[in-house]
Amino acid sequence: MAIDGLIILDSANFRPIVQTSFRSFSTAYPLLHIDAYNAALAKAERPEDIDPVLFVPLPDAPTACCHLQHLSLIFLCPISGNLDPLYAFAFIRTFLDILIEYFGDVTAPTLRDNFDIVHQLLEETLDAGGHPLTTSPNALRDIVLPPSLITKILSVTGVSGLSGPTTTGLSAFSSPIPWRKAGLRYNNNEIYFDIIETLDAVVNKSAAIITSSVLGKINVNCKLSGTPDLLLTLTNPHTITEPSFHSCVRLSRFAQSKTLSFIPPDGRFTLMEYRFDPSASKPGAAPALTAAAASQLQVQVPFTLRSALFVTDHGGTFELTFSPRASALDDVVIELYLGAGASSATCSASTGGGGWTYLPAQNTLRWSLPPTTRGGRSTANNNNTLQGTFTSSEARPRPARAAQISFALPPGALLAARLDASSGGWSGKAGDATFVCFLRGGQRLGTMERMEARDFGITTSLSTE
Amino acid sequence: MSGINFNSWTENATRLGMRIQETLTERTKDLSLMSSGAGYYDTGEDKAKYIKAHLESGSDREKLEAMKRLIAMISKGRNVSEYFAQVVKNVASPNLEVRKLVYIYLLRYAEAEPDLALLSINTFQRDLADSSPLIRAMALRVLSGIRVPTIASLVVVAIKKCAADTSPYVRKAAALSIPKCHSLDESQLPSLIEILSTLLRDRSPLSVGSVAIAFEAVCPTRLDLLHPHYRRLCRVLIDVDEWGQVSLLELLIRYARTMLPRPTASRDSLGKETEEPLFQSRNPAVILSVTRAFYYLALPSRHHKIVHPLLRLLAISPEVERVVLAYILSISHISSHLFSPHYTRFIVRADDSTRVKHTKAHILRNFITADNSQALLREFVDYTDDVDEALVAGAILGIGHIARTLPESTAQCLNAYSVVANAVVELKSLVQSQMQSGAAHVGSSSAPLTIVERLAYHIDEIRQAQARACVVWLVGVVPWAPDVLRKIAKSFRNETVPVKFQAVTLAAKLLVLSPSHDMLIQLGNYVFALARYDRNYDVRDRGRMLQQLLAGVVPTIGAADVKDIGGVVLRRAQVRVVLFEGKESAQPHAVHNDTRERLGTLGLVLGRDTPHERILPDWLEQGVESILRDSQDDAPPTPAVTAIGHIAPRSGVGTWTGTGGHSSPVVVLSPAGSGGPSPAGSMPNKGAWTDLEKFYASESESEDEDSEEEEEEEEEEEEEEEEEEEEEEEEEEEAREGSDDGEEESDHQSGDDEGRRVGPPRTSEEDSDVKRSSKRVPIQ
Repeated sequence: MAIDGLIILDSANFRPIVQTSFRSFSTAYPLLHIDAYNAALAKAERPEDIDPVLFVPLPDAPTACCHLQHLSLIFLCPISGNLDPLYAFAFIRTFLDILIEYFGDVTAPTLRDNFDIVHQLLEETLDAGGHPLTTSPNALRDIVLPPSLITKILSVTGVSGLSGPTTTGLSAFSSPIPWRKAGLRYNNNEIYFDIIETLDAVVNKSAAIITSSVLGKINVNCKLSGTPDLLLTLTNPHTITEPSFHSCVRLSRFAQSKTLSFIPPDGRFTLMEYRFDPSASKPGAAPALTAAAASQLQVQVPFTLRSALFVTDHGGTFELTFSPRASALDDVVIELYLGAGASSATCSASTGGGGWTYLPAQNTLRWSLPPTTRGGRSTANNNNTLQGTFTSSEARPRPARAAQISFALPPGALLAARLDASSGGWSGKAGDATFVCFLRGGQRLGTMERMEARDFGITTSLSTE
Repeated sequence: MSGINFNSWTENATRLGMRIQETLTERTKDLSLMSSGAGYYDTGEDKAKYIKAHLESGSDREKLEAMKRLIAMISKGRNVSEYFAQVVKNVASPNLEVRKLVYIYLLRYAEAEPDLALLSINTFQRDLADSSPLIRAMALRVLSGIRVPTIASLVVVAIKKCAADTSPYVRKAAALSIPKCHSLDESQLPSLIEILSTLLRDRSPLSVGSVAIAFEAVCPTRLDLLHPHYRRLCRVLIDVDEWGQVSLLELLIRYARTMLPRPTASRDSLGKETEEPLFQSRNPAVILSVTRAFYYLALPSRHHKIVHPLLRLLAISPEVERVVLAYILSISHISSHLFSPHYTRFIVRADDSTRVKHTKAHILRNFITADNSQALLREFVDYTDDVDEALVAGAILGIGHIARTLPESTAQCLNAYSVVANAVVELKSLVQSQMQSGAAHVGSSSAPLTIVERLAYHIDEIRQAQARACVVWLVGVVPWAPDVLRKIAKSFRNETVPVKFQAVTLAAKLLVLSPSHDMLIQLGNYVFALARYDRNYDVRDRGRMLQQLLAGVVPTIGAADVKDIGGVVLRRAQVRVVLFEGKESAQPHAVHNDTRERLGTLGLVLGRDTPHERILPDWLEQGVESILRDSQDDAPPTPAVTAIGHIAPRSGVGTWTGTGGHSSPVVVLSPAGSGGPSPAGSMPNKGAWTDLEKFYASESESEDEDSEEEEEEEEEEEEEEEEEEEEEEEEEEEAREGSDDGEEESDHQSGDDEGRRVGPPRTSEEDSDVKRSSKRVPIQ
């Protein structure tokens, strides 16, 4: 019952770039899993439709192949012995995060360039018996040197960064805290917090929200010396539900006082993830709300999309009307799937209504809207419309019942979590707020609009001592 | 003057600049060669020639280059075992980077070249004593990874050495080596178990997870070894790393099911402080393990704890969502009330993957209650427009489900149906149930008939096989449409098997209703003749069967070609009963009665049976005696340990019995004095326990006395004490109270306790360690 190994495929040619050794299996074992993946890919209509857990019938013991795609790379993780597939996905995710930590953007060329490091990382993170070993980036950096110009130059001159047991050998695993390096020194002690919040909503044709949720994430970039013990207070912790924490956070402390007390790892990490639930804002309130009351408490969607779509023989006509509400929106993209067999689309957008493209590979119409400014135009002129027709090889085309809308909100629009830097000697100010927000939604005949909004961040610079 | 000076100065500068540039280009040529790994990755055959020479050269740089090329060739799937001899020579390289690559190489090819691999073993053994924990751990990992059976005993010695290492990282490596050594040579089991029980006493949370892995791999049935460690393992759980938490929880869940009494309202085996915070882990696998613990160990009243953590996992990634939905689906079959208030979290999105859409629709169907039926009906109606056939089918099933669950909404649901494949199937069962319930819903009972009429009218447009078959069936139930039979007979040859079945049946039904109608007899004969020569033998059988059935009603049917084979001939009324009031069609929703405990298994996710089911044993009504779990912190010489090395040969110490239906052996204690180190006998508070029967009696007598006092003591003793544990220690204390020297014992205990909290000096343990080891027979 374990992870059998890890195979990283290049999606350009579906050939493995790096794979573990699969020592206790036949040589055909990894190939069978790659074949199973390719067969499933050939069968699926859309790449997203492949079941992430593929059954691989092997004569002696059936196994499964868990897979995940990241940009141009596909991670295959064969498992056997009735292991929980979540274990495999958690491992792939962890390994991917380590790769990102080491190489920045993880693509096929970067992995080829650094294959020896990838191999060492695989060896250190996954034991031959199929259990994850060292997965904390801080501890790994002591064992496997990240690629840097220095190490390259050193290796040219014949001096290795890991030249002997005297230097790194001693520092590896010498830290009493598994997730933090020992003996760190920084000239400027600073720590950055980025709060990223994502709105994800489904809206019906009468613009009523069917479901919406705001998911948040606090990313930290820590550059502090020594072993700092931090305390972070949230101003409205009661609106935060379903939290999850980095393993450095003292869970018992959070259970008692809803504060985050932790010794941070060095570098970038995700401190916590949470869901913003305004209906839980009153701790003592009755948990059961009526549907109407609950919907009022939900986060509102900053625009409406009306659509009318009529299907005729071998095609159809449609009209989309997008009306933003008060707030400013950026990067609004509306996508409408026109059904299998759709061949072309002709549209005209209202003046200043952005541009459209038809993506034949996905049978999808994409409409990109110009940024809307806050209160810049009167509400009457604010509407953007897109009218058009499409043709299809199918006699009765079946377009999607919903359009997908993504958008970006200005900084601070959601703000479920507010940090309170209240612990000793901390001061902070909000500056350099960067914010991206995506919203997806919309829909055939305007029945449902669904959206996802993502992200705003406050970057706070704080210093200790 | 100054001009000349300036000139010479610039000249010098240019010369210097050129010089620097030259060196730089020279260097960067080297640099680009070295730094771009792609150069190695695409090593051609010509370069491969130099690998051997480079490996034998004196320069670390050349060695490193050669090793990188080898590793690159391994990644590309080439067999590079021919270089084994040269690589082995570098195993003692002072350059750590070279050495690590050599390790990676050796692990892969050692099995193929056992003789040469043996050459490197001395180096690894020497490395086991290195000052760096990294090197020690790496040496052990490589040593145990060399799958050469002859060195098994050497590996055992190495593991044993590392199990006593000062660095928890090395101890972790030692634990992980145990399963490898076991698979190499099974006869080493006794000594491996001994090492394992040493490791079980490890106080560092870092290595505990790996020990649990080793335990599951080497001696999964020896749960009795865990008795003295169980409570401490529960306490450290929260400090273990995330992967270790998964393995440890798995082991603890199994232990609890095997050894603890079934939980009751007053006695729950899950700790608030130990397991519950783990729900806030960021690792989905941990969440699922805790969910397993709560769902399979706790009382149903505490099952609600699993809801929010699982809901949170849905948002992590599409892959995790897919797996978690499968688990929630399985939970919703049995206890849908847990998740149904959160049905909005399962709303199907237009861009979900096929599998996710299907599972969500299924989950929503399980959630249908009177309260949410209106909202869900609207959702399901929306889904019937989806691009995905599977979701449309699921949505239609859902509408039917609502109609059946809440009869008053039937009319609404009927309106919702359009002529879609599954709608017809659902309609069939609705019409059937309506006709059976008779006048129960007089108002709406005309609706099905008109719909059936409409369907019959549209028969040419309905293409999906199942739907077409159903329409033909429906027409038979509402017997007025010979025209449908005519249409079907015309296209009989091209119909699918289910439609053919229903066509033959319809012909038979119509013939029974009006046996003397000429047209019908001709039509019937035609259909039966077609069925008789059909390519599908089931259709042929069905036709023949119905033909025989009709023999007594319509004698002309088949008279020409079917010879009388005797037997009972049914009368018309009888045939009518057979054809019209036959069994109700099977419910489309098979009742899900898979009650096996499969949460968190691959089999459940894939929806198929897989071998190695991790099925939990059922609870023991009584559980094993809690004294077995008395903390070893108080009583250092753990009894089980003394017995482990010898447990196989010496059966006289304990009586082994299988418990219930599963194979985990349980130690049943015999009173001390039977000779040998019995568990009770080696405990310090032996006096109280000498007479076990007396002990049991006292336990049951003084159940409720002094509980307050005990609790106070408990709080002082340990912050993160488990509820269940408290109770058990209570019992134990009570037992001591019954005996004369009980007071002293507990004093001694608390003193020892303080020592434990303060730090290492535990002389009593060390003393007894010495004693024990002197008693132990050497393994080798």
